[in-house]
Amino acid sequence: MLIIALLLIPIAAAAASFLARRRAGMEAVNLAGSAAVFLAAIALAAQVLARGTISLGNGFFFADSLSALVILLTASVSLVCSTYSIGYLRDDQNSGALGNEEGGDQQLKQLRMYYSLTPLFVFSMLFMAVANNLGVMWVAIEATTLASIFLVTFYGKVTSLEAAWKYAIIGGVGLSMALFGTIVAYYAGDSLAGSEALSGWNWSVLAQHTAQLDKPSMRLAFALILLGYGTKAGLAPMHTWKPDAYSEAPVPSAAILSSAMLNCALYGLIRFYILASRCLGAEYPGRLLLLFGLLSMGISVPFVLVQKNYRRLLAYHTIDHAGIMVTALGIGGALGSLGLMLHMTFHTIAKSLLFLCAGNVQQHFRTELFSGIKGSVLRAMPLTGVIFLMAMLAIIGMPPFSLFQSEFLIVRAAFDGGHALTGALFVLFGTGVFAGALLHVVGMILGPPGDTPVAGRRPWRNGSLLVLAAALVVIGFWVPAPLLQLIRGAAQVVTGQ
Amino acid sequence: MIERLIENVAQLILLLALAPLVTGTIRTLKARLQTRRGPGIFQPYRDLRKHFGKSMVIPETASWIFTATPWIVFFSTVIAGLMIPMVAADAPLGLFGGALAVIFLLGLGRFFLALGGLDSGSSFGGLGSSREMTISALAEPAMMLAIFTVAIGAGSTGLTEIAGAAIGQNWRFLAPAQMLAFAALALVLIAETGRIPVDNPATHLELTMIHEAMILEYSGPYLALIEWAASIKQLVLMTLLINCFWPFGLQPAWFGFGALKGIAWLLAKLFLLSCSIVLLETVNAKLRLFRVPELLAVAFTLGALALVSTFLF
Amino acid sequence: MLMRPFLTMQLGDRIITLMAALVLVLQIAMVAQRWIVTHIRIFAAQSFFLAIIAATIAWLNHAPHIYIAAVLTLVVKVVLVPILFERLVDRMQIHKEIEPIVNVPLSVLIAGGLTLVGYVVAESFYRPDEGGLGHNALAVAISLFLIGFFTMINRRKALTQVLALLSLENGLFLAAISLTYGMPLIVELGVFFDVLVAAMVLGILVYRIRESFESIDVSRLRRLRG
Repeated sequence: MLIIALLLIPIAAAAASFLARRRAGMEAVNLAGSAAVFLAAIALAAQVLARGTISLGNGFFFADSLSALVILLTASVSLVCSTYSIGYLRDDQNSGALGNEEGGDQQLKQLRMYYSLTPLFVFSMLFMAVANNLGVMWVAIEATTLASIFLVTFYGKVTSLEAAWKYAIIGGVGLSMALFGTIVAYYAGDSLAGSEALSGWNWSVLAQHTAQLDKPSMRLAFALILLGYGTKAGLAPMHTWKPDAYSEAPVPSAAILSSAMLNCALYGLIRFYILASRCLGAEYPGRLLLLFGLLSMGISVPFVLVQKNYRRLLAYHTIDHAGIMVTALGIGGALGSLGLMLHMTFHTIAKSLLFLCAGNVQQHFRTELFSGIKGSVLRAMPLTGVIFLMAMLAIIGMPPFSLFQSEFLIVRAAFDGGHALTGALFVLFGTGVFAGALLHVVGMILGPPGDTPVAGRRPWRNGSLLVLAAALVVIGFWVPAPLLQLIRGAAQVVTGQ
Repeated sequence: MIERLIENVAQLILLLALAPLVTGTIRTLKARLQTRRGPGIFQPYRDLRKHFGKSMVIPETASWIFTATPWIVFFSTVIAGLMIPMVAADAPLGLFGGALAVIFLLGLGRFFLALGGLDSGSSFGGLGSSREMTISALAEPAMMLAIFTVAIGAGSTGLTEIAGAAIGQNWRFLAPAQMLAFAALALVLIAETGRIPVDNPATHLELTMIHEAMILEYSGPYLALIEWAASIKQLVLMTLLINCFWPFGLQPAWFGFGALKGIAWLLAKLFLLSCSIVLLETVNAKLRLFRVPELLAVAFTLGALALVSTFLF
Repeated sequence: MLMRPFLTMQLGDRIITLMAALVLVLQIAMVAQRWIVTHIRIFAAQSFFLAIIAATIAWLNHAPHIYIAAVLTLVVKVVLVPILFERLVDRMQIHKEIEPIVNVPLSVLIAGGLTLVGYVVAESFYRPDEGGLGHNALAVAISLFLIGFFTMINRRKALTQVLALLSLENGLFLAAISLTYGMPLIVELGVFFDVLVAAMVLGILVYRIRESFESIDVSRLRRLRG
């Protein structure tokens, strides 16, 4: 029931936004919808904690701790971004970034597109997390691509089109490979009884019978899935769409893309990793994951160091963190999985916070380049400046923030598990990104004041910023017990208690 | 022995007589399709008679190659024609490795034709020769691959064996290897006989000529020989195409009444193929010279795939 | 179902092999093509043959849900998507492809090579104890996938890239049919819906690129770097 409600609410919100006549209506519907989804997600998490796994519709829907965690994270991000986008889009409307027609009709159309597509986007992400069927999982993730393409082209600029095109094509090719991998994975399970029915493709069924899966096919399937879902997650070398898409999309969409959608892509990857590692042993999938993960971390270092555009900086940062999480998955073991889940949680909070701060900065200074800001963020927007700096410190892994703990856990898992080279590279690349990001951002925030006026009051935007910042700080010291239990449960799903 | 001789003579007469008819039919059909009346299907005979009656003009700068070429071209094509199964599966002349010998003889003819074009020293001749060589450099491998595909299916490169293996398995051509080889060979046919889209046989503009440019300096009986040889080559390739892949009506041997049936079948199949060629010519435009390698690359790839697929399927 | 006594296993196998060969030939023809409209029509023909393959497999294996897949292929890929794209070409007035990155004869040869790779990969899936239905079709499917991927990289017009992506998906469809006798109905419906929406979305994107850049040459999309 809860799952159905979880899925229906965003669709209803999308429909209502599409039909709404006034901006206030759309905003209200969106906010209410995401709040409802958030509550439903909490309820779902509670149910999963109480009962273990939830199965609905003859196994069509399936939720365990991993699903519940991803859904909770998605719902939280979407709630915060809904709040933020109210203020953000109002500012855009006033400043004329949405099109210059005075009649406001064009602007209303744009807003309607945003407020209808975003709930659909969230719906497809939620759907992916509860779908048991591998094929349906694929359909859902393809739907996320399709829903977000027009969000990337929101501003209609020439560069937005280019970014959307790259996103569509690279994402399309990647997902085709993932579909091929799904088909091959199904073929690997061909010998199982009852495999012709719909349930033959169910992850839960396959996970229980991994010993009977055909090994060579599973190898090929995992490689294809890694390439496919890895493209969606932005692993190198399939990462080239990320900087463009993240810098061109409106800020709340970029925040959702970089946190929630990344989580969904990783979710798909984790599900297949579980199947592959149980069938083939952790050696082969682990190696592939380590390869791509370290490659992503490594590639982001030079780009972060020489970056001139702070939104692209955040994108490369996301690539780096996707690499971290994939490396953690590749290291495996209890520590590695726990590190992965913790990192996923913390990264979601920190990254979305960063994007929202960047949005504030961009809207005030009207530029995306570091050179355009000249270091006066702290004077012009004290709250944003402080939070931005804090979030940046958090995300590069400075103690006492939470990401330090998760990254430390991953490094320890690496050295414990005998992946000394991995651990060393991890630290090396992490330092590189640390240096680059800190350099740029500190230069942007602190520094001699320019003559830009102080920003006015921004209740919606700053409110959401504060909430997230508070969450980030608090979580560094104290993770609420249910959340911790959920995270632990998710880690156990990966290792296969 | 005597039967062999009779078969050879019979096939020779058939070749010599049928070739201009096929050319004439194609021209007339094309004309009719373009709502013209056309010259009539016997016009090539009249042309040949006219040319044989005229006197020749030979360039001063020409060497022995110029005078030798028409004879070499004619005889090599005729001998190649004697080696293919036209009416009966049993080809009258079976020299060293049937299919290879046919390709060699046709190649020999083309080689001397190109030399003849160069020999007269005119720039158009050289232009035609270089173009012809470019096209044949790509077409010949494709043809060989396609023929080898069929040869593998038959277990020998002898054309008699190939045709013999094809008789009795009427739906064999539906096999992918055969289909791909057929497609490749059809494309090569168009290239080798100089049809649109590769070359326009009816063009007057020297810069668009390939085959015509090489024979620009020839006149009188030499021209007649070369044109006859060109028609015979076209007939040879068309017969090769249809009898290797669609061997309906091929008789096991040259018997009396059976031969007539065989000839009838041959004429029918040739007519069908001519209609397809005419359709292809009318619907397409001539390709620019630098686009012809693309077409032939497709033919080559199809031939290669056909050959490989005999092992894989 | 109509009882046609002559549609035996052997004839069915032949039909499938024949159609698979035709599909392969069409894919290679697509690599050599220059006219965008012809591209679209070749894609439609290819999907048509795929639908026939699906229907034949459905008939031979008594699997009714594959009939639905065949009908969906017909409706979506043979009718809807080509009409959509031909209208797009009409509106944009762009008819010819420009010179690809690797020239045409070489790309045709590469396509032939990729077909061989497809065969080699499919070889490892071949289980002789099952019906021989899967072998050729799977090889062609993988070749379609590889050649479509190559064409996407090679070509410079956006619309041609989209068509190559769709032919890649055709290959996946064929692989699904031959490996696992199709996918469950819900997944099929979802995939087709995705394909249709993707075609529409990409079509709209191509149109807007044309409007902004005055051309659909994707090598001009180079403003975002670094």
